[in-house]
Amino acid sequence: MTRRAGDGRKNQDEMQPMSDDAIQVRRVMKSYGTMLAVDDVSFNVAEGEFVSLLGPSGCGKTTTLRMIAGFTDTSGGAIRVHGREVTHLPPEKRDLGFVFQNYALWPHMTVAENVAFGLKLRRKPRDVIRNKIEEALSVTGLSGYEDRLPRQLSGGQQQRVALARALALEPQVLLMDEPLSNLDRALRVVMRRELKELQARMKMTTLYVTHDQEEALSMSNRVVIMNGGRVEQIAAPYELYENPATRFVADFVGITNFLEGTASDMGGGMVGVRLPSGQVLHAQARVPVAQGGAVRALIRPERVTISPAELSGPNVLAGRVELSEYFGAVLRYTVRLDSGEILRAEVHNFDEFIAGGSRVWICTLPEHLRVIPHDPRG
Amino acid sequence: MIRRLLPPLAPALVALLIFVALPMFWVLRTSFNELADGAYVVEAMTLDNYARFLGDPWYLVNTLWFSIRIALVATAISVICGYPVALYIVKTTGLQRNILMALVMAPLLIGLVTLVYGWIVIFRGGGLLNSLMIALHVYDRPVRYMWDIKGVVILLVYIGAPYVVLSLLDSLERISPYLVEAARNVGASRWTAFWKVVFPMTMPGLYAGLVIVFSLNFSAFAVPLMIGDSNTQMIGLIIYREALLNNDLPFASALSVIMVAVNALILVGMAAFFGRIILNRLEAKR
Repeated sequence: MTRRAGDGRKNQDEMQPMSDDAIQVRRVMKSYGTMLAVDDVSFNVAEGEFVSLLGPSGCGKTTTLRMIAGFTDTSGGAIRVHGREVTHLPPEKRDLGFVFQNYALWPHMTVAENVAFGLKLRRKPRDVIRNKIEEALSVTGLSGYEDRLPRQLSGGQQQRVALARALALEPQVLLMDEPLSNLDRALRVVMRRELKELQARMKMTTLYVTHDQEEALSMSNRVVIMNGGRVEQIAAPYELYENPATRFVADFVGITNFLEGTASDMGGGMVGVRLPSGQVLHAQARVPVAQGGAVRALIRPERVTISPAELSGPNVLAGRVELSEYFGAVLRYTVRLDSGEILRAEVHNFDEFIAGGSRVWICTLPEHLRVIPHDPRG
Repeated sequence: MIRRLLPPLAPALVALLIFVALPMFWVLRTSFNELADGAYVVEAMTLDNYARFLGDPWYLVNTLWFSIRIALVATAISVICGYPVALYIVKTTGLQRNILMALVMAPLLIGLVTLVYGWIVIFRGGGLLNSLMIALHVYDRPVRYMWDIKGVVILLVYIGAPYVVLSLLDSLERISPYLVEAARNVGASRWTAFWKVVFPMTMPGLYAGLVIVFSLNFSAFAVPLMIGDSNTQMIGLIIYREALLNNDLPFASALSVIMVAVNALILVGMAAFFGRIILNRLEAKR
């Protein structure tokens, strides 16, 4: 990973006038010795927006969040919250809510004391504190648990206390570090919906770290995909899935088939991908690709037609079914193409079952085929 | 519960019975005996030995009360010295930690007599420290560092502080750094986060350290014997003298019973104090 110097787009970012975004992260870096954990990361979170940092473990997403909260020093770059530079402020001066992965409730304090701690530090009058505790606990569905100790609560309840503790202070921004990952799957789905509903109702600006793509896609207004300390793509969930900018994004968000080839301009907003077999696939051009350059064609498994009868047309690939798996609502085929590549296909509304070993033809529409430049990083 | 725990605990219980309970009972029984002609122990059932102690203000004030005071002071100083050391060590790792731990444990490994004579070599009138200070012209007459209360307290602290450090480390290591970050996040300064989160959570370790160190200090006899003076007549020293020099086992036994009883009373008092504040909240989750 080397730093890309002289990137025009980034300089332009820096010149931007101060916007009214709730969080601005500008070219933030974190190095541990020679290792760059966070490498030149920039993004904004608008007022009331729900943004997720999504990526595999070790991609720098948690480090980025911790730098915003002030728990970890930055090695470079700037962080602004509502236009105020906070990069070098201690965490207690930043006025940001934070929900930890392991909840981090103080075990020697009751639920009410946990929630009241920050309010007491702000020297609020006693009746104000009492009202805020009541409000925060009722919003998170914890009324009646005031006098319990954290260890007397289930994981889900502890998570709610952590949330109530953050919300009681009415922070400018809520930061959450994989808040649901310690819960079992069923509870996670319930909490995910509750959290999203609460966030939308309170219009709380939220930055959410997760490695769970389902969580990120279903809750966020926008998602920042990180990999190896860098931002791969920032986009709305739909855009991310439909128009991944890199192979990493295409692979990380959903399952994708990749076919390698060279690009040829076909005019009329179409681009051709010449496969090694000589066949040319037709795709709608969405990103500029150099004529004759190495490219990858992306085919989502659910965006294909698979048929045991021969199909004709430009985007038809022939092959043999290696494995067909029945999952009730969905049929999954693993097809070995005549060119040797493996292609996965999913069929939801099926009325025939194609057995393994059968000869099949797979067709995909030009508007469902994406083309990205071949990235030497992988 | 008891039925399940009994088999594995049986050997320890037998050892406790033989080496603790029986001698204690023998001491209790002896404390009611009499000393005839200043030399022979005679079986009896008398409270004279207790009356002799409780009726004499010198024993009550200069021995018992003095022992309590000096033990409390030395324990308090041990905690004040040991707490920052524990806080520092808990943040270290690897070799640095091993070296620091070895330094903290050293006084426990050396043996009391060697330790005390080492101190004497350094701190006596013509010792290393005085020679050095005089050679450097910091002062020009030897300063008295031992053979008084000051010396006893210094040495008790030296012996007691490692126990405080070890028991606090145990508590500190259980505290997730996220708990401190959570406190900072809701507006606590470094100091407030320590005082409201870290300190209360170290109460179990602090209490364990206090129990060990106070008991050691209260019953100390070697330290006041070797580097004390006529003003440092701690109760352990008196017991030693009555039992082994004056051969008055009944009186020494009565003193022992009183010492154990007072020690137990003070520990129970501490337990009640700590229990009310914090202990029952933290202990139950262990």
